[in-house]
Amino acid sequence: MRIGLDNIIQTQVIDYRIPKNTNIFYTLGFLAVVAYGIQVVTGILLLIYYVPHPDHAFGSVQDIMTKVPYGWLFREMHAVGSNLMITVVMLHMVTVFLMGNYKRPRELTWLGGGLILIITIIFGLSGYLLPWTQLSYWATTIVTSMPTAFPVIGEPISQILRGGDHVTATTLSRFFALHVAILPPIFLALMGVHLFLINRIGISATPFGKIDEEKRPLTEYKRKTYPDGYPYYPTFFQKQMYMMMAYLAVMFFIMTFLPTLFFPSEANIPADPFKTPHAIKPAWYLLAPYQLLRLIPNKFFGIMIQLILIVVFLLWPFLDIQKEKNVLKRPVLRGVFLFLLVMWVVLLFWGRT
Amino acid sequence: MNRRRFLKMILAFLGSVTFFSFAFSFLKYLTALPASATAANKITIRKNEIASGDAKNIVYQNKPAIIINRPDKGFIALSLTCTHLGCVVEFNKSRQTLLCPCHAGMYDLEGNVISGPPPKPLTALPLKIEGDSIIIG
Amino acid sequence: MKYLILGGMLLFLFPLTVYADYQQDFENEFLTKPWAGVQVEENVCISCHSSEQMKPEFRTIPEEWQASWHAQNNVSCEHCHGGDSKDAALAMSPQRGFLGSPQYKDVPQFCGKCHIAILTNFLESGHGKALMAGKKAPNCVVCHGSHNIRKAGIDIISVQLCTKCHSYERAKVMKQALFLTETRIGELGKKLEELKHEGVYPETDEQSLFSTQAEFRALFHTVDVNLVKDRTGEFTAKLDLIDKNIQNTYSLLKFRKNFSTLLMLTFAGMGFVIFLMTQKKDE
Repeated sequence: MRIGLDNIIQTQVIDYRIPKNTNIFYTLGFLAVVAYGIQVVTGILLLIYYVPHPDHAFGSVQDIMTKVPYGWLFREMHAVGSNLMITVVMLHMVTVFLMGNYKRPRELTWLGGGLILIITIIFGLSGYLLPWTQLSYWATTIVTSMPTAFPVIGEPISQILRGGDHVTATTLSRFFALHVAILPPIFLALMGVHLFLINRIGISATPFGKIDEEKRPLTEYKRKTYPDGYPYYPTFFQKQMYMMMAYLAVMFFIMTFLPTLFFPSEANIPADPFKTPHAIKPAWYLLAPYQLLRLIPNKFFGIMIQLILIVVFLLWPFLDIQKEKNVLKRPVLRGVFLFLLVMWVVLLFWGRT
Repeated sequence: MNRRRFLKMILAFLGSVTFFSFAFSFLKYLTALPASATAANKITIRKNEIASGDAKNIVYQNKPAIIINRPDKGFIALSLTCTHLGCVVEFNKSRQTLLCPCHAGMYDLEGNVISGPPPKPLTALPLKIEGDSIIIG
Repeated sequence: MKYLILGGMLLFLFPLTVYADYQQDFENEFLTKPWAGVQVEENVCISCHSSEQMKPEFRTIPEEWQASWHAQNNVSCEHCHGGDSKDAALAMSPQRGFLGSPQYKDVPQFCGKCHIAILTNFLESGHGKALMAGKKAPNCVVCHGSHNIRKAGIDIISVQLCTKCHSYERAKVMKQALFLTETRIGELGKKLEELKHEGVYPETDEQSLFSTQAEFRALFHTVDVNLVKDRTGEFTAKLDLIDKNIQNTYSLLKFRKNFSTLLMLTFAGMGFVIFLMTQKKDE
C-alpha cells in the first residue's frame, strides 16, 4: 500500500511486545479510551435532539427518553457511561501510581494523565447541568459558588463560570459550549500526547517479579522494548477486548438493575430556581472536595489545601525521584497514599449525608 | 470441531446479535420523524361562530383549549391547562381575562400571567385563518 | 529541587493565617446562600409575631404556619392578610392592603380570594347558606384550621369534627361516596411518583390528575351527596385515561428492561468467550 500499512501493522501490532509481568490493570488505559469513545458517540446522538435553552432543555431530554425511538438507550448509556468513565480513569491513576509507572522518564505521561482526569471531571460538571433538572441546577449552583472562597479573584471567577449572579440561560449556553466544543479537542490533544509518549518511551514493566526495569539514572533517550515479552496481538489485545466487554456488561447491568443509581428523584423534575430541594449535593466525584470544604471552618484555607494537594499530585513524579519503584518496598509512601485514599472515600460517604 | 472454532462461532453469533441490536436502534433513532400534523389533528371552526369579545372552548389533542376573538387583536388559540398545577382555566367574558379556579391564577387574553402563582404564560396553539375558517393545528 | 518546591508551598501557607480573619465575612456570606440551608428571609410579620412583646395567643402563629402546607408553597402572611411583610412601619397598614383577621362569617370570602371554585361551591351548599343566614354553620377554618393548614384529605371528614353540629350519618354517607375515587386518585399519584423515580416525567398526566382531584374536591364542598354520586362517573372516566397512560408507560419500561438485559448478557457472554480464548490449550 502507498503508506506502508503493512509495515505499520507489522511493527505496531505484530512485533509489538509486552513485558511478561504485566497484569490486568494494564488494560485500564485502553478502557478509558473506549469509555470516552462511547461518550462521544452517544453524546453526538443526543446532540441531534437536545435543545440547550432552559425553556426546552428538560423537555428535549424527556422527548429523547420517551418519544424518540431508542433515545432512552443512548441517554442512559451516556449518563451511566460518564460515571463509569470517571471511575475507570481514577482506577487507572491509582494502579499506575501503585506500580510506580510514573517514574522517570515517564513524568510527562503522568502529568498528561492528571490533566486528562481534571478535564474528565470538568466534562462531568458541565454535562451535569445540561438536562436542567432540580438536581442539575442546584448542584451547579453549589459548585460554581465554591470559588468564592478565594478573596479578591473568587467572585469574578464565579461570575465568569456562571455568566452572572445566578445559574441562568447564560450558564447553560457556556456549559454546553464547554461540554460539546471546547473540552473535546483539549481532551483529544492531551490523550494524543499521552498515547504518543507511551509509545515513544515504551511500556513500563511492573516492579513486582524478577524482571528488571531500566537501569537508573536514565541520561539519554532509549525506547524500552521487550524482545522476550509476549506479542501484543493476539494476547494482550484479547485482554483489552474482554475487559471492554466487561465494561459494557457493567454499564448495561447498571442500566437494567440499578437505573436509579445516578438518578435520585430530583433528577427527574425540571429545574425550579425558586425552590431549593432539601439535600442537594454535587455529583459523587466532587463530594470529597465538597465535604472537605464544609469541614474546614476557613473556606479559603479549605480551597488552598485542595489546590496544593492537586498540584503536588500532578507534579509527583518530579518530587519522587527515589530509584525504588516497587511500592511494596516503600512502606512510607504506601502508608501515606493509602491514608489519602481512605480519607477520600470517607469524605465521599460523609459528604452524602 | 475443536474448541477454538467453537468459541469463535459463539463470539460471532453474540457479536452479530449485539451489532444488529445497536445498528437497528441507531437507525430508528436517526430516522425518527416528529408526528406530522395530519388532518385528523386539526380543528376547523368558522369565523362567524365566535362573536367579538367572546370565546369558544375546544378540545385539541385531548386537552382543553380555547379560541378567543379578541376585540382589538383578532383570533388567538390558547391551551387551557394552567401552568401552575394543571387545572383547567376559565374564560371570564365580562372581565376579558382567563381565571384559574384552583388558586386564582389570572391571565390576559394573550395568555400572559397577570397575577397569581402561575410561573409561565399559557401555551399558544398554532392558528391559521383561511378565508372564512379558523384552523387550529 | 524537591525541597525547593516543598519549601515554597510551606511559605505559601503563612498568608493563610492572615486571611483567616478577613474570611469571616466571606464565610457568613457563603453560609447564607440558599443552598447552604440558612434561608435568610426578612419577614417582619414573623419577627414581630414571634417576639417576646407579642401577646401569647398570637405568638404561636408563626410556628403553626411554618408547619403548614401553605408555608411549603411559599404562601405567607401577606398573601392572605395583606400588608407589607418587608416594611415594619407599614406592615399592618391599610395603604398596603392589610385586612386583619376576618370575622367568622367572612372567612369563606377571605380564603376564597384564591380558592375560587371551592368558594363558589361552598356558598351553594347547605353549610354555606346556613353560614350566610347567620345560623350555626362551619366556615373553612373549622375543618381546615387557620394557620396550621395541612394538605386536604378524606380523613378531615371525621366523627369528632362533623358531630359538632349534627349526627355523623350524613357525613358518613358522603365519605363513602367520595372514598373510591379518592383512593384511586391516591394510587395513581403514587404510581406517577414511581414513574418519576424510573426516569420518566409524566407531566401531562400529573397535571391531569391534579386537575381532576381539584375539581372533585371542589365538588365535595357542595355537600350534596347525590350530585357527587351523579358526577362520579365522569371523574372515573378521566382517571381511567390517566391509568391507561400509566400502564402504557409501564409496558414501555418493561420493554426497555428486557432490551438492556439482552445486551448485558451478550456483552458478558462475549467477554467470557474471549477470556476463554485466551486460555492456553491443554493438550
